[in-house]
Amino acid sequence: MEVNRRDFLKIIGIGGATAAMAGCGTQPPESLIPYVVPPEEIIPGEATWYATVCRECPAGCGMLVKTMEGRAIKVEGNPDHPVNRGRLCARGQASLQGLYNPDRIRQPLRKGTDGTWGPTSWEEGEKVLAARLAELKGRGGRVALVTPLVTGSLDRLIDDWLRAVGGGSRLRYEAVSHEPLREANRLAFGVAAVPFYDLEQAELILSFGADFLETWLSPVEHARQFGAMRTYRDGRMGRFAYIGPRLSLTGANADEWIAVRPGTEGVLALGMIHAILAEGLATALPASEEAAFRRLVERWTPVETAEQAGISPDKVRVLARAFARSRPSLAVADGRTSNGTDICLAITLLNYVAGNVGRTVRFGPTAAAGRTSPYREMRTLLQSMEKGEVSLVLLAGVNPAFTLPEGERFRKALEKVPLVVSFASFPDETAMASHLILPDHTFLEGWSDAEPWDGIQGLQQPTMRPLYETRALGDILLSVAKQMGLQQQLPWEDFPAYLKEQWKGLHRQSGPAEDFETFWARALQRGGLFRPVPSRPVRLNPEVFRHRFEAPRFAGESEGLTLIPYPSPIFYDGRTANRPWLQELPDALTQIVWDNWIDIHPADAKRLDVSEGELLRVQSPLGHVELPAHLSGGVRLGTAAVAVGQGHSAFGRYAEGRGANPLPLLPAEPETASGSQPWIATRVLVTRTGRRHLLASTVGSDRPHDRGIIQTIPLAEVQRLRHPEKHPHLLQMYPEHPHPKHRWGMTIDLNACIGCGACVTACYAENNIPVMGKVQVAKGREMSWIRVQRVDEGASHHPEHRFLPMLCQHCDHAPCEPVCPVYATYHNPEGLNVQVYNRCVGTRYCSNNCPYKVRRFNWFMAEWPEPLHLQLNPDVTVRSMGVMEKCTFCVQRIQGGKLQAKAEGRAVRDGEIVPACAQTCPTRAIVFGDLKDLDSEVSQRSKDPRRYRVLEHLNTQPAITYLKKIIAGPVEG
Amino acid sequence: MSDLTYSQVDRDILRAMQAPGRLYYVVFFANLLVLAWGIFAWQYTIYRGLGVWGLTHPVMWAMDITNFVFWVGIAHSGTLISAILYLFRVRWRASVYRTAEAVTVFALLTAGLFPLIHLGRPWFFYWLLPYPQGGGLWVNFRSPLVWDVFAVMTYMIISVLFFFTGLVPDVAVVRNRTTGWRHRFYAFLAQGWQGTDRQWRHYKAAYLFLAALATPLVVSVHSVVSWDFAQSVVAGWHSTIFAPYFVAGAIHSGLAMVITLLIPLRRIFRLDTYLTQTHLENLAKLIILTGLIVGYAYVVETYIAWYSNNVPEWQRFVYQVTGEYAVLFWIMILFNSLVPLLFFVKRIRTSTPWLFGISILINIGMWCERFVIIVTGLAHEYDPYSWGLFIPTWVDISITLGAFAWFFFWFLLFAKFLPVISIVEVKEELPPPMKSTGSEA
Repeated sequence: MEVNRRDFLKIIGIGGATAAMAGCGTQPPESLIPYVVPPEEIIPGEATWYATVCRECPAGCGMLVKTMEGRAIKVEGNPDHPVNRGRLCARGQASLQGLYNPDRIRQPLRKGTDGTWGPTSWEEGEKVLAARLAELKGRGGRVALVTPLVTGSLDRLIDDWLRAVGGGSRLRYEAVSHEPLREANRLAFGVAAVPFYDLEQAELILSFGADFLETWLSPVEHARQFGAMRTYRDGRMGRFAYIGPRLSLTGANADEWIAVRPGTEGVLALGMIHAILAEGLATALPASEEAAFRRLVERWTPVETAEQAGISPDKVRVLARAFARSRPSLAVADGRTSNGTDICLAITLLNYVAGNVGRTVRFGPTAAAGRTSPYREMRTLLQSMEKGEVSLVLLAGVNPAFTLPEGERFRKALEKVPLVVSFASFPDETAMASHLILPDHTFLEGWSDAEPWDGIQGLQQPTMRPLYETRALGDILLSVAKQMGLQQQLPWEDFPAYLKEQWKGLHRQSGPAEDFETFWARALQRGGLFRPVPSRPVRLNPEVFRHRFEAPRFAGESEGLTLIPYPSPIFYDGRTANRPWLQELPDALTQIVWDNWIDIHPADAKRLDVSEGELLRVQSPLGHVELPAHLSGGVRLGTAAVAVGQGHSAFGRYAEGRGANPLPLLPAEPETASGSQPWIATRVLVTRTGRRHLLASTVGSDRPHDRGIIQTIPLAEVQRLRHPEKHPHLLQMYPEHPHPKHRWGMTIDLNACIGCGACVTACYAENNIPVMGKVQVAKGREMSWIRVQRVDEGASHHPEHRFLPMLCQHCDHAPCEPVCPVYATYHNPEGLNVQVYNRCVGTRYCSNNCPYKVRRFNWFMAEWPEPLHLQLNPDVTVRSMGVMEKCTFCVQRIQGGKLQAKAEGRAVRDGEIVPACAQTCPTRAIVFGDLKDLDSEVSQRSKDPRRYRVLEHLNTQPAITYLKKIIAGPVEG
Repeated sequence: MSDLTYSQVDRDILRAMQAPGRLYYVVFFANLLVLAWGIFAWQYTIYRGLGVWGLTHPVMWAMDITNFVFWVGIAHSGTLISAILYLFRVRWRASVYRTAEAVTVFALLTAGLFPLIHLGRPWFFYWLLPYPQGGGLWVNFRSPLVWDVFAVMTYMIISVLFFFTGLVPDVAVVRNRTTGWRHRFYAFLAQGWQGTDRQWRHYKAAYLFLAALATPLVVSVHSVVSWDFAQSVVAGWHSTIFAPYFVAGAIHSGLAMVITLLIPLRRIFRLDTYLTQTHLENLAKLIILTGLIVGYAYVVETYIAWYSNNVPEWQRFVYQVTGEYAVLFWIMILFNSLVPLLFFVKRIRTSTPWLFGISILINIGMWCERFVIIVTGLAHEYDPYSWGLFIPTWVDISITLGAFAWFFFWFLLFAKFLPVISIVEVKEELPPPMKSTGSEA
């Protein structure tokens, strides 16, 4: 065979392209990608970004996914997306560990007759499902399809499909749901929807148990709004009081915590209405309504209210006055007791009376969260399954065996169903109870769209080729329909075709100024279609004045502690418990990792003779669990709180066997009005087991010890700080560093930091930080480069939490630098304190001499169980055993930004280079930039009168300037 | 002693070098076993990573550096006794200085291991040395750890030279009485010693010179070691008293170790004639002095912690005396500065059991002192959020025990292979043998 030079190059080229395609899939990056025929969009070492939508909770934040060599390696918020404007929470940051989770279901699985799982093929799996559906067709309603809150095209396809295959019940089940809120708005205004709460415009926010910085509605969005609302301007800042029996992270960010009795939040709101009317402050209210309101709240005089809620009457009056006088104010509620709807209604009315409806409470846009199926329907499904009325159950992305109070009963009921098909990505409790698993893609691998608010259509596109033999739910449904001969009704080839068809509709609606392909490409690029939605006026339904407000009911003995289960800010309803980054992320309030526990008031603990870390038996009329005690003044006396999310019996190696799930302790009766599942619904008896349990926490001491590490300033005094205090400059033996071009620096506004921990997880993702596990963290060996330190400055039993993100301060006079015998750490010309891993011999002297204690030592060789290693950032070295590491200010991003600027022949622009922590901070507390550029935001902010530097007296000259937290004190009226 | 003859001295001292008995072998191999276990623990550390130790985030040095400082400290008494007391012409040193010097060399052999052992990547230990290298990499002369390298290595070289120089006339005696490989071994060590006047003159000059060189090391080495701590910003480490405090502590512990070793040596080798109660009593008197200095340092530290009005400093002090490691602190106070005061009582300082017991207590106390300084300083540093606790693991303990075994391994070999008391210097104390009047035949 004769091969000339051209042919040879062609052959090489084809081979190269093939190799390159392989590189875009699941292969570890072993094969070199030749440059002869570069595959489109893959340039080795250059990142490609795709806009998509985060699906870790129903908030629907926009996401940008950074891919390199065909692998998704980092997710960031999409700055164009109106929900989160470029920011993400810790759960969103950790979504990569869903994609690369080592316990993912990698192919279709079928349970054998002996109960063991075996692999099956897609053809086989879909055939089983199609055959079953064909068999049931025409027998009407023996099919149930349970999904989480799916919005947009997939939601419509599922409905279309279910109709086509013969009908059945369709449920949109969310364990963390807002049905009481929806029902309250239906009762008040005749609109069964969850409105838009404009936290940003409010002068005063009262949260009645709504943890809007953690899990309530749209946490990243609310955090941003909250941050803006709390910004200090001209002697004022937005005020915030938190009302509820448990001090949540949201509550910890309030000016004041009012610990009412569980379930009496509504009473307080009614009492406030009473006081507002009594003092004639309801100026916006028509006279006719005022009279009706007076009758409605007649009973709830401040004294009566205070009596019921367990607070002082003065507090009721003060809150009422402050609420009515702040224009606008805003009250937000979460009804998780048996009278949840009443609570939400009372608070809705409070907003109405204060004139907030239409201003800070707007119907338009309304939230998709208002479209969930109430829990009552899940209960109905459970009962029909038990009665044998259901022949086929399809479960997609839900885990009711874990999140239902009767999870175990649900699991048993599934046994009575002839065929249960799960589309789960992970082997969770529910998937394990099914017969057939047809694994869906994770959201980073598939097409979809999401509509969290009216008018916000986020477009979800695959960011990489599916890692395993999984198929998108939409594709499975269409394929099954085709096998059943339903091409007529569902003519689409695959789900992307359906999706595009749907978007053609949107294109027509939005006015075809451009052709569809351009419109589509732009939507893909921007991450969706975002249109403003006008707010609809609502009228108060006079029926509401006949509403009878009920008191909360609790199961269990009256001498027990009222149990307050709450969705974990880290694990939501438990669906993210298998992400090692999140397990290692310290809980904001306790700093405990890899576990859950029961918060008990120290006075209750004393009465029960319980000590910290003691394993307790928590007994309700419905069952019991064992949980270690954590003594905390953050719960009202007589209550005990447990986070939901841990305690999985199946869900992979990272989630299984950690703590306990408190949900089975709860009574199963739905709330009468809304049909939701009341979480705060039982009292529990707590008894000692005599055993102890290790609670691994990252905190040494959470008291301030007069060290001035977290500094605060009273609101009244901020204005007096006209002239920026000069940083003291103490004597120094060595000459100052010159920093000829740049001096990278950071400011952290403690008044904006909410302690959420998104920065921590973002840093893990960006910088290949290994996860150490509970035992090592208990020994103080977590590897986080940035941590959110919490200090409790309150009196005993009344916590006042302050948060401070602590990371390498990149000191000018860094104590770590002179002590290194081998120059493994030194000050670079741009002001970075650089760690040279290759040179480090591991004397650890630098860490001993670091007063900020931000250096981490590689105690062991870090491991990333396959395929978690595919997430590793190729721009960051994976450190080996025996070397020291620490925050680099994301030096790889600095380098990238400088190269970019150089290639474009310009100077680096302010805001162009952003480290991972600052990038994701939902409240923009962290700002990074060049201190040599006097116009940069960081330079401006570091001149703020509130500035201080941590441990300044040691003359370390840090590059990080903190801005003191402003203490506004209790709300005054 | 004065009724001894030169040949009697030779016989007595060299008797210790006869073939060992059962007990020696038992002790030697038991010790070897401990040493092997310690080496295993170190290899395990290298294989798995330093995480197998109890070190944690704030406390990145603990038993490793405690052992280092402890053994460097032990080394100091040898030099004090052999060099400084030599220069001051203190007569009684003759009987004890050989053992003291051996303790110096072996303690340095032990101490020198820990900077290696404690590294995260011990296979790159040579990066701490300034050697010419293509990439132009150099050591950081601002780092006290580099000063350490030089201080300890200088000390090592001088001590070894001093030790072997002092041995030359003695091993010549041994050489003359041995055959076979032993003869060749001692012949090498004796370096052709013939005992000529010329050789004696050179020997004396060299010895004096080395003694003069070694003397400043007694002060400088432990000062440099103390700067590992004093140069840092850590509250409880950053203190100007550290250099004298550490030097006094070093001599304190070294003297105690010499007593601990001499008492059994005297007993086993029946050297009571040479190592008399007077020698031990003199050492005990020195211990009173060093104990008082150490006690003074403790008081000054406390006073300054209070007087400075420095919050972290004072809180660290309170933590030191009341926190998790408080027991070790009170052991240190009791054993290092209070118990040695018993030596003011003549009956106690002349009683062998008392001497032996107290010397062991001082050894324990001085180990605790280093531990307390290093660990409590780090455990409660500036950032209360990052406070932490060091809890030793089996590996920490094994390596520490292994270090003791390593020291005793050399010491046991020394006891059998080299004269434990300087023959030459003992003879110097005796009346020179006179040609007897007439009876010389």
